[in-house]
Amino acid sequence: MSDSESDANYFKEVVAEIEAEAQRRSSSGEYPRALLRSLDEEFRRWIPDASLENGVEDTIRSIEAAAYVDPAVPISSRSSLGRCVKWIVRRLTYFYHRHVTQQITALGIHVTRPLRLLDANLKSVNRRLAALEDRLDVDATARSELLVGLAISSSFHEFVESLGQHFGQVSGRVLIGDLANVELVRGLRSAGVDAYGVASGSAPAQDAVDVRHEHLFDHLGDLENESLDGFILCGIPDYGSVNEQLRALRLLLLRSKPGAAVAVIVLHPETLAKRLSPVATDLLHGRPLHPETWDYLLAREGASNISVVESSESSHCLITAKFL
Amino acid sequence: MTSVHQLVPTISPRDAVGNHTLALREVIRELGFESEIFSMFRHPDLMSDTHYVDRLPRDADVVIYQFSIGSPVAERWAQHPAIKIMNYHNITPISLVGKWDGLLAAEVQLGRDQMARYAKHCRHAICDSDFNKSELDELGYTSTETIPVMFDVTNATPDSSVLSKLERKRRGTQVLFVGRVAPNKAHHDLVAAVRTLRELHDDEAHLHFVGTDGPPGYRKVVETIVTHAGMRDHVTFHGSVSQEELVAHYLSADVFCCLSDHEGFCVPVIEAMHHGLPVVAFDCTAVGETVGDGGLLLKDKNPLIVASALHRVGSDSRLAQRLRVAGRHRADSFERSITRNRFSQYFSTLVGSL
Repeated sequence: MSDSESDANYFKEVVAEIEAEAQRRSSSGEYPRALLRSLDEEFRRWIPDASLENGVEDTIRSIEAAAYVDPAVPISSRSSLGRCVKWIVRRLTYFYHRHVTQQITALGIHVTRPLRLLDANLKSVNRRLAALEDRLDVDATARSELLVGLAISSSFHEFVESLGQHFGQVSGRVLIGDLANVELVRGLRSAGVDAYGVASGSAPAQDAVDVRHEHLFDHLGDLENESLDGFILCGIPDYGSVNEQLRALRLLLLRSKPGAAVAVIVLHPETLAKRLSPVATDLLHGRPLHPETWDYLLAREGASNISVVESSESSHCLITAKFL
Repeated sequence: MTSVHQLVPTISPRDAVGNHTLALREVIRELGFESEIFSMFRHPDLMSDTHYVDRLPRDADVVIYQFSIGSPVAERWAQHPAIKIMNYHNITPISLVGKWDGLLAAEVQLGRDQMARYAKHCRHAICDSDFNKSELDELGYTSTETIPVMFDVTNATPDSSVLSKLERKRRGTQVLFVGRVAPNKAHHDLVAAVRTLRELHDDEAHLHFVGTDGPPGYRKVVETIVTHAGMRDHVTFHGSVSQEELVAHYLSADVFCCLSDHEGFCVPVIEAMHHGLPVVAFDCTAVGETVGDGGLLLKDKNPLIVASALHRVGSDSRLAQRLRVAGRHRADSFERSITRNRFSQYFSTLVGSL
């Protein structure tokens, strides 16, 4: 083994030791928690987008600086004669250069003026947008963290038979989304329903059934109107905001043919309240709507034959209907 | 006489691409070819030694474009009838500069667009590193080769007053980074690492930054981070320094640490190795292949891991000594005479085959 290979191996071993030691001390709690927390918080707080506000202004300022053109042409030269000749030429042509450079400088100023106006308008739009975001969505990150930690067991299997009956006469495609449980697709397909799922989570290693791994709204955005023969709305009614739930229903109805069979599976609001921690209760803006509300919403959209079935533990409700 | 000219958007005697362009001209001239440098923006010191871009002769046989930023100069190269060679030094991704410097963001975006468009115009491309080469290969460049940039490792006599000042002030581990204060160089990560080093291992450790300011605003943010981390007395921005002062910094530090998120090569790493300074670096983009077997390469720049690595190098004299020896050996492989010969062989084969 050459010295270089021996060094390389030794250095790799040292790095592995350092990483293992850092990992061990970190997991055993030897590092002060306050230090780790403050590092995470302080450094992340300051790094992103800190100077974005002034980015355009800095850019305009640098354009203004560059727009000033100096009419005094450099006269440095390797020989003193060359320097002298350049100096004379500069003196003789100064009136010309000054005239040209003044116009270029004026052009630069005229260009940056509308840019400043644009910058002021952009800042105003940004401020209004930020205010709007504050009103609509205070901390999406905190909520998404809470949602990840929120494990709600599904009672979907209890509804497979009812759903099989409800969609039994449907000949075309039935969309199930936002899908939390692949078994639902399997159950319906074995009952003869041409069902497929849309799941926003990452793709599992093996998918034997037809499940598209993309966000439900993205998928619906790509579908043609009146391309579905039915749909089952689930997932989003458990955690989405009222806006998201209504948008999902509206889009699904738009993409469904007249006469489509529809179903909504929703967690009972009381069940969710019992399972949530106080932090999640306070911060989650999504609330499952009551079955009565879904009944009202579907009826308002012109659905008929609306019926509500509760799961055995009353944790979930299945609302089925026909879209006219 | 066969003419092999170079086009470069900006030429300055005090930057890596400028020095490389000047050195390459000498290599080409020594091969017996006519060679001049044409540029849009020329440093006053190089006015008499270079030409304005519109003087590039239409009958040139080969035109080399020094590519490190988007520029209208590149269009002149692309439309020139000569055989076109690109010398690619990499372009910082827009994601790393976009929010800091709008003008630079526009230039790097233009550069990336031009890079993609010129695959069909470019006969051969020379890249500083395999990382740069892989970028061009992905874009469909048909003939690419890696030859590192030519540079002179500074061998100036260290500035004695700076050296003695640094020695006088030194207490704990002295960590050095040399490079423009720019977001892709991740100065903020170095502050985090040295803060952790101070908290956990060495409460007298000090971080030295040498280099000019990059995009406006980034330096301000790094200084804010330094203040909030309670590190104002433990981080020094030395700014741009002379070659003598730079050598003094290399000689007085205990470890050179590079946590950059993007580098097309990284000359300061080689300079640090040449001066016997142990190197700890985050393995990303071209940094890993530049450091090679001459330093500690970290896969993760979590402050806890970087701090542990810095502490280990600062406290384990056997490791530090092996790093010094391996680093010097690695730096030798980038000696100017070696890369110069490679460029000489490349151009003599290429132009000989015309």
